[in-house]
Amino acid sequence: MDRLMTLAKSHSDQVELYFLEKSQNSIDFEDAELNDIKSTIQSGITMRIIKDHKLGFSYTKNFHNEKELVENAVDSLKGGVEARFDFPLNKTALTLNTYDSAIEQATNTRIVNECKRIYSFMPQKTNGQVNIGAVTATTKIRIMNSAGTDLLTKMSHYFITVSILYPGSEAGLFRSLAFKSFEKTDDQYLSDLAELYNKGERELEVTGGRMKVLFMPETLYALIWRLQSATNGESLYHQQSPLVDKLGEKIFDEQLTIIDNPLDDTKPHARAYDDEGIACKELSIVDKGVLNNFHYNLYYASKMNTEPTGHGFKTSRWPGDTISMKPSPVLRHLTIRPGGKEFWQLVQDIDRGIIVCGALGAHSGNIPNGDFSIGLAPGLYVEKGEITGRVKDAMISGNIYDVMQRVIDIENRVHAAYTGYYPAVLFGDVNVATKS
Amino acid sequence: MFDTLKSILSKIQAEYADIRHEIKKETRIAFNGKELTEIGTNTTDGYVLRILHKGGFSSVAFTDPANHERAIRTALENADLMTKFAAHPVVFKSTDIIKDEYIPNLIEDPRKITIDEKLQLTRRYNEMALNNEKVATTNINYVELIREKHFISTEGSEIKEELITTRISGLITSRDGNLIQNVRVGAGGSNGFAILKTQEDRFEKKSRIAVDLLKAQPVRGGRHNAIVNQNLGGVFTHEAFGHFSEADIIEHNRSMREKMQIGATLGSDIVDIVDDPTLPNQLGHYKYDDEGVAAQRTQLLKNGVVAGRLHSRRTAAAFQEPLSGHCIAEDYRYAPIIRMGTIFIEPGANDFDTLLDKLGNGLYILDAKGGQTSGENFTFGAQYGYLVENGKLGKMVRDINISGNLYNTLKNITAIGNDLQLSQTGGCGKGQTNIRSCFGTPHLIINDLIIGGV
Repeated sequence: MDRLMTLAKSHSDQVELYFLEKSQNSIDFEDAELNDIKSTIQSGITMRIIKDHKLGFSYTKNFHNEKELVENAVDSLKGGVEARFDFPLNKTALTLNTYDSAIEQATNTRIVNECKRIYSFMPQKTNGQVNIGAVTATTKIRIMNSAGTDLLTKMSHYFITVSILYPGSEAGLFRSLAFKSFEKTDDQYLSDLAELYNKGERELEVTGGRMKVLFMPETLYALIWRLQSATNGESLYHQQSPLVDKLGEKIFDEQLTIIDNPLDDTKPHARAYDDEGIACKELSIVDKGVLNNFHYNLYYASKMNTEPTGHGFKTSRWPGDTISMKPSPVLRHLTIRPGGKEFWQLVQDIDRGIIVCGALGAHSGNIPNGDFSIGLAPGLYVEKGEITGRVKDAMISGNIYDVMQRVIDIENRVHAAYTGYYPAVLFGDVNVATKS
Repeated sequence: MFDTLKSILSKIQAEYADIRHEIKKETRIAFNGKELTEIGTNTTDGYVLRILHKGGFSSVAFTDPANHERAIRTALENADLMTKFAAHPVVFKSTDIIKDEYIPNLIEDPRKITIDEKLQLTRRYNEMALNNEKVATTNINYVELIREKHFISTEGSEIKEELITTRISGLITSRDGNLIQNVRVGAGGSNGFAILKTQEDRFEKKSRIAVDLLKAQPVRGGRHNAIVNQNLGGVFTHEAFGHFSEADIIEHNRSMREKMQIGATLGSDIVDIVDDPTLPNQLGHYKYDDEGVAAQRTQLLKNGVVAGRLHSRRTAAAFQEPLSGHCIAEDYRYAPIIRMGTIFIEPGANDFDTLLDKLGNGLYILDAKGGQTSGENFTFGAQYGYLVENGKLGKMVRDINISGNLYNTLKNITAIGNDLQLSQTGGCGKGQTNIRSCFGTPHLIINDLIIGGV
């Protein structure tokens, strides 16, 4: 890395190197059968250089091609991508507890045995088909730049997702658990999942209309995606956000407080600095319904004449190759502040409504505008506070700046979910379209 | 490269092993609005090793050749675990031993075009969109992927194949006050650079639609009969049916496997569906899959009845069905999984005006905006549409998201057009992103679609 830095410096004003090394094991059980074990051992380097306020970019997986890496970065300068920012000096990054050495004992044999244990337990709770996916991984990130920053982070994680499928479908209920190393899956967690599944076994045809809708933590991302899109510096700069002039205004119900906290190292993937070396911090996005902050990486902070917020991460909505990505402004450590009610109390509060357990097509529709229109896969139907069965062939739709004004109540705990840690949230008066 | 790969395979004590090395050269040019935000060419490479031993099967993807012994050790350990714990030993369907090199025909090799010419072309299409007053911004990208693959197996296959994909695609966003609308636009393919040079009409049309959507009314939610255009029909076919022709999706799903048996009636008797990666010059074209199996045209649905399935060597043996050559990886970061190549509904006899007459009242909906399936249910979004009244096209509508049911919706196809078109750009996110996923249909009438509205 030092030699590469020296070589790149001789061709530019500023240099940034991003080194990534990741080892991952994935274990997949379907219907109590061990279906697949896959491993990856991957590494790579991304280089960004700045010369005369122009940005050069290159990447490789092959560490022997230092010269080509530099040449590619220098070649890309010719395109004239503007860089009105400097790579930061960060010598004071917080030390977070992101790596649990116990991950080294989380062998594939141990994970397989845990899955077998779950399979010995679940048939006592449900007749549904159970699928399990488990992943262990260790990641090393090093960020160096010509300003003198040299930061190294080692992270570990263990994720397990247990799904119970409804017949004739891949749709079902699922829960994920995320830790820094292997932990036995809590039996109560599994029992709760099975109980919910069992209540939805009966297939129902219901009349559509406007009704209460309870988003499970696992499906809230369908709404949060729209908020993320509207609050990032890129959308603001390109006028793709309806929130551009709404800072300090009430955009959601006052029960909603949404925070991004990369520093919370009780959870896996905490970060003291982003993928550009900018210090991370807790950032209030929405406080009691009021829009509090936007988030920026270096590039869009400079475009908007503001400070980066430590949200420049090399990530995308779809699976991609981290090494080939440029940092973009992203909220990766979101949480919604829990409310005061147990999950089952929320269900009891529904006179007539739907629990959204799977959201289909959250990525389609007019995301910048905040519109959503998602298929239920599945939805559980609730009448007079009781789940009476499940609904399929149905869609719920609306606009987040309308629907999220009508929060009835929020669950009193958060769960690991795609894009963050969320409680279940109950909304009122949401449009549901069905066959009837 | 074959010698390096042989040397690695020679260190493996197993019944079967294969290894694939890929060099991936990627050129990307990106405009966000009028600003160029990315330009450059980069090369990466890596290996995928797969081992089958005593009924246990496992794969390891690695990038540093110095890690090959660790990769072998890991793959053998994982295969051993599979042997101990898997309920059924893995068996591979036997396949021909192939020694071949395949380089597709190209109309203008993108490697011979300067990056400056690619930049100017991308800039031209981007500016066509931005020239509209109500277009707030764009996100237009040139992407060129050159994948040079070497595959060898302990059975003796040695295959070199190049896959070359080019496209200019992205998003055009219009805005009027707080109302924001967008449409996707894209052109490209697997047969060279030339196709990109004549796409002015496509970019002009989509820019106009982005602006027109600002005045369109949201569609009314509920049940509708609709004509879907070729692109939307393609996504519908891919999501509603295609994924459940992939044997790995249904292999361990008891109830779905039962419902998807060969001979089961899933569609109306006018519906024939085929997947054919051998079609030359199409986005989904390849000669050999990433297990070294020759790609084959596969009839999936014939007169509405399940007629075939897409397979890997493992699932073809498990289902006792023929190989199809559909086990594909996104690149060297992944072991291959079963994917569609070029899936389409075969054309019928109706021209578009006849379909409008047959529909009478309903919707004409066009161009996909993402789709997803959960097995029985699927959704897909349409970028725009028109009301149809008494067989005539009426006002434009927006915010169209559709839900359907695998076991019903194909039966609700009541008429098929004569105008099959296959997609020039694609993207399927089944674990890995397949940008060569190609699909299409003629215009179709589908009854009783559930539309969410807003």
